[in-house]
Amino acid sequence: MNLESLIHAAIDGEIPPEQHAQLEDLLRSDWQARRLYLELVDQHARLLQQPAVNTGRLQATTPKRKTRQWWPSLTAAAAAIACALIFWPQRPAETEATSNGVAMLSQTMDAQFSGTLRSGDTLKPGPLHLTQGLAQIEFFSGATALIEGSAEIEILSAWEARCLSGRVRVHVPPAAKGFLMHAPGMKLEDLGTEFALNVKDNTSAVHVFEGEVIAHTDQSPTSLKQGMGLGHSTSDFLSITELHGLVKERDTRRFADWQQWSLTASKDSRLIAYYTFKHLEDDRWDRLVKNVTEPRHPQRAGGAVGAAWTQGRWPEKTALEFKRPGDRVRLNLDGTYHALTLACWVKVDSVDKKYNSLLLTDGYDNGEPHWQIYEDGSLMFSIMYRPADAAKSARYNQMYFSQPVFTADSLGRWHHLAVTYDNTSGTVIQYFDGQEVGREISKLHQPGRDIVFGPCEMGNWGLPTQGHQFPIRNLNGAIDEFAIYSTALSASEIRSFYDHGKPE
Amino acid sequence: MSDSPSSTETLVLLLTQHQEPLFRYIFSLVPCEADARDILQETSLALYRKFAEYDPARPFLPWAYRFAFFQVQKHREKSSRSPLLFSEDVMDLLASERSHIEPQLDDRLRLLDACLQKLTAQDQELVTSRYALRQSAEEMMAHFSLSRRTLFRNLELLRQRLHECVTRQLQTEGLA
Repeated sequence: MNLESLIHAAIDGEIPPEQHAQLEDLLRSDWQARRLYLELVDQHARLLQQPAVNTGRLQATTPKRKTRQWWPSLTAAAAAIACALIFWPQRPAETEATSNGVAMLSQTMDAQFSGTLRSGDTLKPGPLHLTQGLAQIEFFSGATALIEGSAEIEILSAWEARCLSGRVRVHVPPAAKGFLMHAPGMKLEDLGTEFALNVKDNTSAVHVFEGEVIAHTDQSPTSLKQGMGLGHSTSDFLSITELHGLVKERDTRRFADWQQWSLTASKDSRLIAYYTFKHLEDDRWDRLVKNVTEPRHPQRAGGAVGAAWTQGRWPEKTALEFKRPGDRVRLNLDGTYHALTLACWVKVDSVDKKYNSLLLTDGYDNGEPHWQIYEDGSLMFSIMYRPADAAKSARYNQMYFSQPVFTADSLGRWHHLAVTYDNTSGTVIQYFDGQEVGREISKLHQPGRDIVFGPCEMGNWGLPTQGHQFPIRNLNGAIDEFAIYSTALSASEIRSFYDHGKPE
Repeated sequence: MSDSPSSTETLVLLLTQHQEPLFRYIFSLVPCEADARDILQETSLALYRKFAEYDPARPFLPWAYRFAFFQVQKHREKSSRSPLLFSEDVMDLLASERSHIEPQLDDRLRLLDACLQKLTAQDQELVTSRYALRQSAEEMMAHFSLSRRTLFRNLELLRQRLHECVTRQLQTEGLA
């Protein structure tokens, strides 16, 4: 009997003892057999648990279930638990957020994938085709693989991958000992080490740089130690220093390009204020967030409160980090405007409040804009206009939400956010990484009403009236560039802001 | 042991939420429904007795799996003469391998529902009798007028088709 039939016979309880022993031997010796077994019994267990839901055409037929009389011996509370288990409706929905990722793309260099992937992305099991460039994958088990395009890799789990073609270098720390790399004609079991693997035309060559690898081929398993190899020995194994050197070079270049662009951008006469979050070594108080517009408007400089200096998009770039409920940057922006653009580079670590501040005016008076991230991960822009005779409780703020943009995948890395508004058309357009994610005109819009800022702040909402408790709206993340314009920038200008500033 | 109603309520809630994965875990080690349900009940009682030791800051399932594994071992010792139970080393292997691939198993189940919809009417009827109505082999043989051998062959093919359908879906889904 083949493996499948043995598993199905076991599931159906139709397996004679000698075949059960045969199944057990297969499960003991072959991980692929175990895997197929686990998949098939799991599927069966699910069908046993939720048949009515699954077939989609069944009435709620209560299955006849033989429950044994075991509860008299138990305490009432324990019986309650047992009853809950037996009679409570099944709840398929898990309330806790889950992810089925097993690895992450930690670093890329000029990498092109079939399909869109960016560094920082979580990877699920499945094929990965790198057509060019370098990519570093960190498996959740702790193993790291550096891959050079063109390469075809299949991620099987946090503990297992397959290389179909290309050059790969694998590092396995002690915690990930046992990491398996499959290649044509062999299976490499890593015992805590570093090795390189080249697969070309369906033949594999391996070289161990450090530690020990067990190579399982159709012959008996071979132990490969430092300096040993298998397959035709070539000297062109992938080097790990290559990626890091190239990444450093790229970061330096991107930073220099951005500095150049930023210098030109700062001379745009449409700017109300422009902050590049450069940590000024000669600022003895260490709290100045300089407004770098030309001509200069030093009165529009920001003052950091609480927020600490941290690394920005590149190692050479500084940013301010907002963490504690008090962290903020105070601003005072004079003037009356007919349109605005707010644009910033932000790394959001978590959307953990109902409202998470980007830029808010103190209080909320007529013509004042508020820009925040709403709890569902969408961008929220609003502007207040209350008629003089309106009741205090009535809502007169024009509110605009984008589609949700902050999800588990977009947290913890740098993104470009922008919103434009003009008081003639009333159109609010929101952008995420240079792409439009929302466009709306409020029903409450009336043309020609002025926009004002006055005292306001980044990363928080504050200076409440004395004696009142203030809602906690501090941003959990970092900002490293913020521009405020007195006009609604066009989509292509926003796009250019993003293109010149994106980290990679 | 705590008698406070709130801790009992918490446990009931946690168990209700997690009984499906717990059952699946136990079933992977003891693939017999009646036995697996017994072990699940024993496990819930053990969890109840030790619930004071549970640290709510940690995920519930890994903690519960440890108790389930222990109850499976107890069950194995009790029925040590049964040749249809896996030996200890195989159970160890299965449990550890399962913990590594659990996210993929969850992923597969997500796709299973769609694959069930794609079954032929005949296959769906088979699913209904076997899994929803819990008919015995004898009932099903009479109902479908099949020999015992053909009936189990059909069930095997049905589950195999579902498994392949899920694998295919996973591949087309890729890394999306």
